[in-house]
Amino acid sequence: MKSPTPTPTTTPSTPAAAAGDERRGSIELRRVRKTYGNLAAVDDLDLTVRPGEFVTLLGPSGSGKTTTMMMVAGFEELTSGTVLIDGKPVDRLPPKDRNLGVVFQSYALFPHMSAAQNVEFPLRMRGVRAGERRKRAEEALARVGLAGLGDRRPRQMSGGQQQRVALARALVFNPAALLLDEPMAALDKRLREQMQDEVKTLQRALGISVLFVTHDQDEAMSMSDRIVVMRDGRIVQEGAPEDVYAHPRTDWVANFLGDTNLLPCKVLERKDGVAVVDLGSWGVGRVRDLGARGDTYAVSIRPEHLRFVDAERTENRATGRVLSSTSLGATIRHRLRVGEKDIVMRELSAGTRAGRGPDDEVSVGWTQDEAQLLVLEP
Amino acid sequence: MKRASPRHPSALIASVPVFLFLVVPTAIVVPVAFNRSRYITFPPDQLSTEAISGFFGDPAWMSALLASLQASGIAVVVAVLLGGSAAVALHGRTFPGRAVVTGVIIAPMIVPAVVMALAFYQFFISVGMVGTVLPIGLAHAVISVPYAFLTVRAGLAGLNPALVRSASSLGAGAFSVMRFVYLPVIRPGLVAGALFAFSVSIDETVIALFLQSPSATTLPVKMFTDIQYNLTPKIAVSSAMLVTVATLGLLVQVCFTIRRRSIARLLPLTAAADQTG
Amino acid sequence: MTSTATPVAATPVTAAVGADPPRGRPRRPRSAWLLLLAPVLVFDAVLFLTPIGRLVTQSTHDQAYQRVLKDPLVVRSMLNTFEISALSTLATVVIGYLLAVVIWRRGPLMRVILFALVLLPFWTGVLVKNFAWAVLLQDNGLVNSALQGLGITDGPLALLHNRFAVIVGMVHYLLPYAVFPIFAALAAIDDRLELAARSLGAGEASVFRRIILPLTVPGVSAAGLLVFIISTGFFITPVVLGGPGDMMIANEIDFYARQLTDFAGASALALLLTLVVSVLVAAYQRILRAGGEYEAG
Repeated sequence: MKSPTPTPTTTPSTPAAAAGDERRGSIELRRVRKTYGNLAAVDDLDLTVRPGEFVTLLGPSGSGKTTTMMMVAGFEELTSGTVLIDGKPVDRLPPKDRNLGVVFQSYALFPHMSAAQNVEFPLRMRGVRAGERRKRAEEALARVGLAGLGDRRPRQMSGGQQQRVALARALVFNPAALLLDEPMAALDKRLREQMQDEVKTLQRALGISVLFVTHDQDEAMSMSDRIVVMRDGRIVQEGAPEDVYAHPRTDWVANFLGDTNLLPCKVLERKDGVAVVDLGSWGVGRVRDLGARGDTYAVSIRPEHLRFVDAERTENRATGRVLSSTSLGATIRHRLRVGEKDIVMRELSAGTRAGRGPDDEVSVGWTQDEAQLLVLEP
Repeated sequence: MKRASPRHPSALIASVPVFLFLVVPTAIVVPVAFNRSRYITFPPDQLSTEAISGFFGDPAWMSALLASLQASGIAVVVAVLLGGSAAVALHGRTFPGRAVVTGVIIAPMIVPAVVMALAFYQFFISVGMVGTVLPIGLAHAVISVPYAFLTVRAGLAGLNPALVRSASSLGAGAFSVMRFVYLPVIRPGLVAGALFAFSVSIDETVIALFLQSPSATTLPVKMFTDIQYNLTPKIAVSSAMLVTVATLGLLVQVCFTIRRRSIARLLPLTAAADQTG
Repeated sequence: MTSTATPVAATPVTAAVGADPPRGRPRRPRSAWLLLLAPVLVFDAVLFLTPIGRLVTQSTHDQAYQRVLKDPLVVRSMLNTFEISALSTLATVVIGYLLAVVIWRRGPLMRVILFALVLLPFWTGVLVKNFAWAVLLQDNGLVNSALQGLGITDGPLALLHNRFAVIVGMVHYLLPYAVFPIFAALAAIDDRLELAARSLGAGEASVFRRIILPLTVPGVSAAGLLVFIISTGFFITPVVLGGPGDMMIANEIDFYARQLTDFAGASALALLLTLVVSVLVAAYQRILRAGGEYEAG
């Protein structure tokens, strides 16, 4: 939070221990299925959000991420499976009794209430007395940097302010966990980045678990402790953001999370997490191998993991021609042709060697750990 | 996104009597027309088509039916021509007094029927237009013009005035602009307007009552006069006929609604319909 | 006059009305739209403004306003009008709200079907509806037979030719006018508000009382006002379904005009009614304009 915030009362890393229950704040989905007719919107999903963890469901629209969140919140019934909150099954609990703070895409602030009344609403529903209600709402608004703005109606507030109100409203009743459904989608880029930082800081300070839904990979990368990539109602990969980014298991994940160069290959040998692959005109190389099995394979190398190398290098190197170079400010993007394949590489402007022009012959190389063997999906 | 929303079964059950309340009175009218006895009962004791043949054999009812059809014919033609052309004329144009012009065109819809009836009554007597269907038709046209105007205007809402200007700058004459730019757009509005005008006129009672004469008594006026004495099978037949017309109107509206995929767009129009209770 | 027309027209200002266009060169006369507008203006001037103008003139004769306002029958009919309209409006809005909520909660197909049920009486003329109610409410009608058949009453209740029948007939007539604006207000509510309220701890009743109801207040007021406006002009229904004590202001106007042939008095009453209705219509439009405040998006 950029604005001064009061120190939270809970110790950041161990809120659960303080509550005396190690599953307090956890969300668990066990073999959750949701079908509409013959169509499975969510298929056999297993997922755990540990206490204090920030987990992001990342996927394109229609991947089942929002449906999953709606089932956790209690707005959608499960076709089969179980949802546990704080370690207890909640399938029979209506949304109002699940004790989850939900922030919706367009904030869903009540337009006929002031910001303070919006924040007081969950307390009113819990029978908190008026005086106490007012005090806690004021504190919650102050925590999100809106002290003194409680009398405003939502329509008199900016998008960022509305989002803070929504956040205050979702947090004021000390929910077990926070569910965020694309809460930044309506904000412009600069404000979105600022809010991402603030939400992340607030989440750390409160030590609250968060289940976050987004289709924006940058948002997922910058905020999450763990990313769960979904596609067609299934989890295709999960892990720490940098891990998923650097080591996609399939070409779909590689493409969905950022740009990549996919080089079809034949696997010659796999051993101890390293594969020796035949890359055709790129020669033979060594790449990282996570053990994924399939019919056809490719090597994924992120544009920023390619770099210009000396022509003398013998391994993990290919020679090609520069097609174009475009300065993007902090970075330069080169398009190269290597063999019959067009690839993209990105390097920092600061480290650029001058005098590389179109049609220059260059050698590019990569390290074994930054090139990933993955399965090409049919 | 589909979501589980409470379906309020209790509210649905509570609403069943209300829907019955809405529909039953309209629904009984047709079977009642097949009543055999001289007095009206529902459900009918015995079914027969006696009343129906009686209705069509009765010169008084036949002349009322004819008068109604003539009056609504006048109303439909005048309303569609004047209301439609006014909507086209005002499309995309701003000029001082535009609001006043629109107000005058729409006002007849808002003035209570009995006030219009009294005004027409005095006016047509003073100009000596009495004893024919013409004044009734014209009066119905006055109150129908707003409907045609509004339906056509609703249809034009999606047409960019700049398109019309570019058509005329490309050399299209006034006639071609009308024929090829406006007509295709306003056709559904014209049909809806005609339907509204017909529906308004065929059911209108108060104005027609004030302007009636022995030679110009419309169907609702005849029904109104007779109903005060007795509930006769012929009134039932007349009612059944009007219900059939109403059902057709309804079907057309439902089709329009489904085609446009929007119930809301018809709401303002519907909410302003005839107010002759 | 022609200067308000399109700025695009290529030809210079030879467009004076009546001037011959250059031969063989199609040109859109800038005044064409006036030719389209003129008929309706002439028509309404002759057949709407003139009759209404005569009405206004008439009403100033013979101290008509003072006279009619002293007539106890007029006062009675005004009170009747207010009372019957208020009761009908209340019943219509309450029932209409229920219907609107039920329709709102259904899927698209059911919505169309239920709307059709609401619209059927809407398309039906008032006399047909009155006739049907007379048949249903008469001594040996369906309602009385049902009440007796169920053993609720011994003999037929007097359901016809009284104020009850008038209000039943009016509510039946007015329901569609209430359902549509209320439905529009409900449909404008963002679905997520309800989800948010439930996630924040609100049950069904709280969602309705604290979210849905307050957000539909503008729509309900609009519906109530619209229904009240229409109620004040009722003429046929009091005659067909009511008794002698249920005459409303419109009937009184008719009585003055066609029985007493007191046109000044009738005109004065008509203008008083118009005045009240105009004020209400102005209020109605204000509500409609302010009503967008809570709309989604």
